[in-house]
Amino acid sequence: MRRLIRLFAFNFFLLLMLIPTHSDADEFKVEVGQSIQKAVENANNGDTILIFPGLYKESVVINKEVSIKGEDGAIIDGGGEGNVITVTASNVVLDGLTIQNSGSGQEDSGIHIKKADKNVIQNNTLKNVQYGIYIANSFENQLIENSITSSKAHFSKRGNGIHLFKGGGHLLQENEIANVQDGVYFDFTKDIEVSENHVTESRYGMHFMFSEGILAERNHVEKNVTGFMVMDSAHIDFIENKVTDHFHFRGYGILIYETKDILVEGNEILRNSTGLSLEYGGDTLINRNQIAANQVGLEFMGKNENNTFSENNFIGNVVQSKISGEDMRLDDGVKGNYWDDYSSFDLSGDGVGEEAYKAGSLYDRLLRKQPYWQFFFESPSIKLWTKAEALFPSFGTADVYDARPLVEPVTMLQDTEQRSKDRMMPGIIGILFILFSIFVIVKGRKLR
Amino acid sequence: MIKKLGILLMMSVGVLAGCSNSAMEPEEINPEIDVCEVCNMGLAHEHYATEVVTTDGEIYKFDDIGCMEEFMEMETDLKEESASKKYVRDVDSGEWIELDKAYYAYHKEFWTPMANGVISFKDRESAEKYVKEQGMGEVLLDYESLKEHVWSWEQ
Repeated sequence: MRRLIRLFAFNFFLLLMLIPTHSDADEFKVEVGQSIQKAVENANNGDTILIFPGLYKESVVINKEVSIKGEDGAIIDGGGEGNVITVTASNVVLDGLTIQNSGSGQEDSGIHIKKADKNVIQNNTLKNVQYGIYIANSFENQLIENSITSSKAHFSKRGNGIHLFKGGGHLLQENEIANVQDGVYFDFTKDIEVSENHVTESRYGMHFMFSEGILAERNHVEKNVTGFMVMDSAHIDFIENKVTDHFHFRGYGILIYETKDILVEGNEILRNSTGLSLEYGGDTLINRNQIAANQVGLEFMGKNENNTFSENNFIGNVVQSKISGEDMRLDDGVKGNYWDDYSSFDLSGDGVGEEAYKAGSLYDRLLRKQPYWQFFFESPSIKLWTKAEALFPSFGTADVYDARPLVEPVTMLQDTEQRSKDRMMPGIIGILFILFSIFVIVKGRKLR
Repeated sequence: MIKKLGILLMMSVGVLAGCSNSAMEPEEINPEIDVCEVCNMGLAHEHYATEVVTTDGEIYKFDDIGCMEEFMEMETDLKEESASKKYVRDVDSGEWIELDKAYYAYHKEFWTPMANGVISFKDRESAEKYVKEQGMGEVLLDYESLKEHVWSWEQ
């Protein structure tokens, strides 16, 4: 009996010896002419593969927890077939690679990640790919400082820069995206932070579909068809983004459709066909935004329930607001918004005008029916009409008004910094000028 | 003289009638400017687009068959057979087919622009082929079974 036990123990010990214990991580080097795929096959979890500069014509499948780091000028070329890099393992790092020429099929991407978590994709350049980075059913991946462009085709033929399908918990930071269909596409995803990204020259800067719990902060979307397209989603926060130059025929700065629980705070919404549009939105808080120089500043369509709208600056929009649908208060009961076409006065000195600002004139409603009447927007008759309407308000349509209009624009944090710089400058110049004058005067006296 | 005028009038009426979309044909999609009548989304995925063409030549475009159904629910006067023609496209070729002549494949996981999961085909084989390729879903044999379908916006 004892011998048996001893034998068993000995065998067990032998078995233990056989389990490979991989102690410290190795580093492999790959040079031109060698295969990255081979290096991945020979590597173990935790190893690093260093790619020397040069062109590597291959598609790579990464099914182990390895780090792949490219030196400056390491290019992986998929040759126009399928995905260039496919990641099926978690904890993978892809750093400093140039990735190009994927296929042009429905999901072909520069980097395709499926059911893999906690990967870090950073400092990569993706170009001439259908989709840039496609992530499906995965969690907690980090996409940082990548640069992504698609093909030269019309945007309807391109894929998206970053496409997130199901899963969530990702972080997208400081990516530079241009010439794709949609910069970032959130498709049935949850709990994502997307900050300081820049998207330009695409269809939609960011496209939210059936997603929830997304924080979009300090991004800059410009010169796309539409900046933020938000549909059938919930609980999305837009904080301090710049949404500028969407002058496309059907372009919007931010379009919110059938979405609940949204925060839009401290954004600069400048130079868009329509700055901010809400259709079937609910429980939104829209606060302290700069809405300026748009064709149409604000548009409400259909039913919008329980929206708080306060302390926004409306400055220099061609048409301040287009309102159709339900009655709405455009203030939170204490503070309203600054409208630069507000013509009444603050007599009590509390910064709030004594008379309500009525949004949406009869002319706006005409515009909804006949958009091309926009042509007459500065004509004397329209001016007269608007004036008459101000004197005899309400032609019996949706009553949308701001009962607490502000008489001074709200100062936003972003421009106070600029202002302080601007204030310093004249002072310094003045002091220099005075010093120079004194110098000239003193010199002049001496000459006599 | 009056006769001539009459003929001229007749002719001009004829010309005008010719201009209107009397055949109720669908119109080519322009992805640069066309957006969905219901949800405002641009029609970038052209082969998923659908159209309603009314007798008076109005054309409404949609990005997804679900949006078209939603539109038809709202526009009750267009519901009658004679009031409008409804078109879907064969997802492979983009060929326009009338709604009730097409075949459909459905699975809630099928990707469509508005996530309705219904995809249209010109014949039964292509619908079956698609279901086989995806390894999921079912073929809805005709428009009647499509009527039974519960759309995402109805839930």
